[in-house]
Amino acid sequence: MTLVAEEVRIEVPVSGAPKRGVVSRLVSRLGNGFVQLVLALVALFWLVPVFGLLIASLRDESANTASGWWTVFTKPSELTLDNYADLVANQAVWQSFLNTFYIAVPATVLVVVMAALASYALSWIEFPGRETLTVVVVGLLVMPIQVALIPVAKLFGAFGLFGTITGVVLFHVAFGLPFAIFLLRNFFTGIPRDLIEAARMDGATEWVIFKRVVLPVAKPAIASLTIFQFLWVWNDMLVALVFADQDSAPITVALRAQLRQFGTNIDLLATGAFLSMVVPLAVFLVFQKYFVQGVLAGSTK
Amino acid sequence: MTAVALRDVSLVYPGGTVAVNDVSLSVADGEFVVLLGPSGCGKSSILRMVAGLQRPTRGQVVLDGAPADDVPARSRGVSMVFQDFALYPHLTVGDNIGFPLDVSGCPRQERTERIAEVADAFGIGDLLGRRPAELSGGQRQRAAMARAIVRGPRVLLMDEPLSNLDAVLRSGLRAEIAGLARSLGLTVLYVTHDQIEAQTMADRIAVLRNGVLEDEGLPDEVYRHPATMHVAAFLGSPRMSLFRAYVQVVVDSHVALHVGGQVIDLPWPDMRARAVAHYDGEDIAVGARTEALRPAPPGSSGSVLTGQVRHLEHHGHETLVSVDVGAWGVEPSGLHELRTGELVLRVRPDVRPVRGEHVGVHLCLEQLHFFDLADGRRIGPRGRRR
Amino acid sequence: MKLRQSVDAAPGRSPRQAIPFLLPALVVLAALVLYPLVFSLIRSFFDAGGDEFVGLRNYVDTFTDPRTLTAFRNNVIWVVVAPAAVTGIGLVLAVLTERIRWATAFRLVLFMPMAISLFASGIIFRLVYEEAPEQGVVNAALVGVHDLFSPSSQYPGARPRDGYTRTEEGYVATAPSRAGDTVMVPLTGFSPQEVPARALPASQPATGNGELRGLVWLDVSVGGNAGKVDPIERGLPGIGLEAVRDGKVVARTTTGDDGRFTFPDLASDEVVVRLPASNFALPFRGLTWLGPSLITPVIISSWIWIMTGFAITFIAAGLSAIPRDALEAARVDGATEWQVFRRVTIPLLSPVLLVVFVTLVINVLKIFELVFVIAPGSVQSEANVLALQMWQVSFGTGGDQGAGSALAVILFLLVAPAMLFNIRRFRRERS
Ligand SMILES: Nc1ncnc2c1ncn2[C@@H]1O[C@H](COP(=O)(O)OP(=O)(O)O)[C@@H](O)[C@H]1O
Ligand SMILES: [Mg+2]
Repeated sequence: MTLVAEEVRIEVPVSGAPKRGVVSRLVSRLGNGFVQLVLALVALFWLVPVFGLLIASLRDESANTASGWWTVFTKPSELTLDNYADLVANQAVWQSFLNTFYIAVPATVLVVVMAALASYALSWIEFPGRETLTVVVVGLLVMPIQVALIPVAKLFGAFGLFGTITGVVLFHVAFGLPFAIFLLRNFFTGIPRDLIEAARMDGATEWVIFKRVVLPVAKPAIASLTIFQFLWVWNDMLVALVFADQDSAPITVALRAQLRQFGTNIDLLATGAFLSMVVPLAVFLVFQKYFVQGVLAGSTK
Repeated sequence: MTAVALRDVSLVYPGGTVAVNDVSLSVADGEFVVLLGPSGCGKSSILRMVAGLQRPTRGQVVLDGAPADDVPARSRGVSMVFQDFALYPHLTVGDNIGFPLDVSGCPRQERTERIAEVADAFGIGDLLGRRPAELSGGQRQRAAMARAIVRGPRVLLMDEPLSNLDAVLRSGLRAEIAGLARSLGLTVLYVTHDQIEAQTMADRIAVLRNGVLEDEGLPDEVYRHPATMHVAAFLGSPRMSLFRAYVQVVVDSHVALHVGGQVIDLPWPDMRARAVAHYDGEDIAVGARTEALRPAPPGSSGSVLTGQVRHLEHHGHETLVSVDVGAWGVEPSGLHELRTGELVLRVRPDVRPVRGEHVGVHLCLEQLHFFDLADGRRIGPRGRRR
Repeated sequence: MKLRQSVDAAPGRSPRQAIPFLLPALVVLAALVLYPLVFSLIRSFFDAGGDEFVGLRNYVDTFTDPRTLTAFRNNVIWVVVAPAAVTGIGLVLAVLTERIRWATAFRLVLFMPMAISLFASGIIFRLVYEEAPEQGVVNAALVGVHDLFSPSSQYPGARPRDGYTRTEEGYVATAPSRAGDTVMVPLTGFSPQEVPARALPASQPATGNGELRGLVWLDVSVGGNAGKVDPIERGLPGIGLEAVRDGKVVARTTTGDDGRFTFPDLASDEVVVRLPASNFALPFRGLTWLGPSLITPVIISSWIWIMTGFAITFIAAGLSAIPRDALEAARVDGATEWQVFRRVTIPLLSPVLLVVFVTLVINVLKIFELVFVIAPGSVQSEANVLALQMWQVSFGTGGDQGAGSALAVILFLLVAPAMLFNIRRFRRERS
């Protein structure tokens, strides 16, 4: 067949210089500088919207209605922290900000603890149905939370959990577990078997092995999970929209009411949104390595 | 008194691999027993069953006379040094050594003392504050040993503890480990695939192949009277030469062994001649280590085979000469069955044979080994049990 | 030889030891994930109140409800466009970043949206696409570009008082005039404050000999007389006028600072004076991004902004895992860079690309907050997607939990292939 002959044909460069394609020649002609320029522009596209929100949050209502945030370059005097002061003084918004913590912290701790326990059993204790259980957990990774909204609302109603922080936390724990178990189990099974067995020989019980050997060794994975789960809960809106009431609403839900008159509420919304972003951004910048690992590991969520 | 005994133990892994097949073995109190065999032969599996990390499919592990069937690993009083040392990466050396004491609720004061004591015995007393990652291979080895014996185990198991170290360190530690074990009076079951380790360290050797215990005895005994040709080939360096011989009984005189076109006579007075005579008209395997072979001056008579020099290996203090005597070789594994059999002759370095040269090799009859080709077993009476 | 189960591989370890470790997670998963799944399935066969079994009616209703159909249509658009776009952009950028030294910083910047909430991202893009060019940066930029090429008119919204009819071309005098006449054009609908400073007080021009003359001035009725030139009123400079005869423009002129104009040499035939519409055109205000027609593309663009960093990071990890040997062997074999990319990199990367793609599809199917936040209430029905529709039907305005359950089940079925994909991938990785 001619195909084969073509495949193995060796192209002999005429001039001695390596033969190169149009694209690569073009790229090297324009050079690295061009690539850098393009990427710098792309990065700008990613930064400008956030920067715009930040500036909008630092200008008062009349300034925001009258002119765009970019005019700040000519009128820097318009910048003010008043919006933030107002927001913090606003009891409801401030409460919702605190609620976000009250929801995110326990939901994270519970998920990490439960998932670590379960992952240990799935990795290092043999029991019938272990394979099946692991596969079920993998299957649950992509479960849309919509399938649980109505039944769980009923369930919470029956137990008096509807509209409470506890209810919101429980729901987050349930839907955080599959990914958490998946991530930790992957890490736990990667721990050398010798290490576990050495501990077993050294006289450790399962509980001691878990606490004294597996948990410390798995610190990076636990860090990834903690950060990922915290941000996941912190950033949630849908769950809280359904299960939280006015007093237990996190900041995303509390601000939602202001959406109706967006144009005139820019100062409030921008400030609120930015306030809600401060924590994730700080966590992201400080722990970005762990966060990126967590997202990549949990790509399927 | 018997510290460890395996009684007809077999292990089949879920995939169907028969890792250990009907092995019986015992280790006496204070004895240093080496389990020797090529990798994959089931050595680790045996250790893990003794440790309580794996339950035998059949048979029983007995510790200090009591069946250990349902005794969990942590209560067996057995400790283990792993091939990769399995030090806890997040703990310092001191905490690693102290871990077994800690989990058994040993008070802090006593713990500190024990750690210091054991660490000093292994010469790592000033490394207690370091993490395993900051140790050299040899130091990790010592730390792992220290952790294993800190609790005063009845039995110490070691799974190829030297195989991850470089050659120089290895030979140093061989003597050190054996010496320490003896001075502490430890009962040791030691696993290795390195026959030199086995020879130099063991009180007793057990040779394992494909999950079957093929031979067992004092190192010297097993070397001189291997029970099978696999054992024979596995022990000793250079490897024992194995070749085919056709047996012909010459009544009232001797047994003639036809090797290629040549003949060696085995006189009746030789105790083994009778046993070999059973194979009249058949092939057997003949084994010869280099110490059974000498260069034969031209024209000398007796058990001499002549052949062509195939290749030379210069070792500095000696030269190994492979001589093709025109016989079929025997591979214990059954592979390369049709290779020519070559005798490996050891000569002084100043003797310089030329490749292709014809030389005579004198065989010392007493030191030849005869094996059944079918099952690999040694032919003939043997001065010991089995 | 009879095999014992591997279950109790080690003596003294019983499967029972797993129970305390597993129990907390299993209870929560069973109660809040598995049981609800079954419940939703059953619930979807009952009516809104949950009392009456209605068979498949909820599903039939769902597939005939125009709102749900819109949501379906949008979901299809999302699935077709968004994941492929993000994977493609991610691939290109991941490859490009391999050539630069600040790749880590770049990826960090693009990854940042993953850290913030979809709600906040929604607010960010609501602001970006806000219609008023004084607020939305996209429209501001559009207007800037537009005005660069066609500057806006001087007198937006102004119009002649009486005697002119409005046409496509502009305001046309109802009465014809001829050379020697004086045409008075009083304009209204414009604020005196915005009249250019150079404008001079208006006064009626003298009748010219053979010229058609006239005056355009801002005629204020308050403090003056409508249609009359009052002392306080000023002429409007820079207004273009045309003399039209038989539908053809025969002469053009522009008013001076005092608002006067002259058509110097017209023949004696009658002409009609016309003020072209360009004098009064309203300024360009950009596009209605958040209106019904553009809303879905707009939301998709914000989703691309959020997810691209994820794709880049994942693909970059895949790229760095490609053995250098393979690439170098191809180069040694004489392949061009493009061929290396097409024939070696892409095939080796395809499993990673598939995982990224599937992940993005799952994400897209569950899209909720972005639509909820970015689409203004009035166009939410146009931007609707299944996840949002499910919420609205069951908790928002609908309150029909039967229909909501049916939608939830449909959503689950849509995600199910991805579920199987994950399980198969997991099984393969194990073996
Ligand atoms: N957990 C296991 N599951 C299945 N087969 C195993 C397992 N562990 C070891 N084996 C198999 O059992 C045989 C013996 O293994 P092992 O005892 O580790 O040998 P050695 O330590 O002598 O190298 C090998 O063929 C190995 O592949
Ligand atoms: Mg082994």
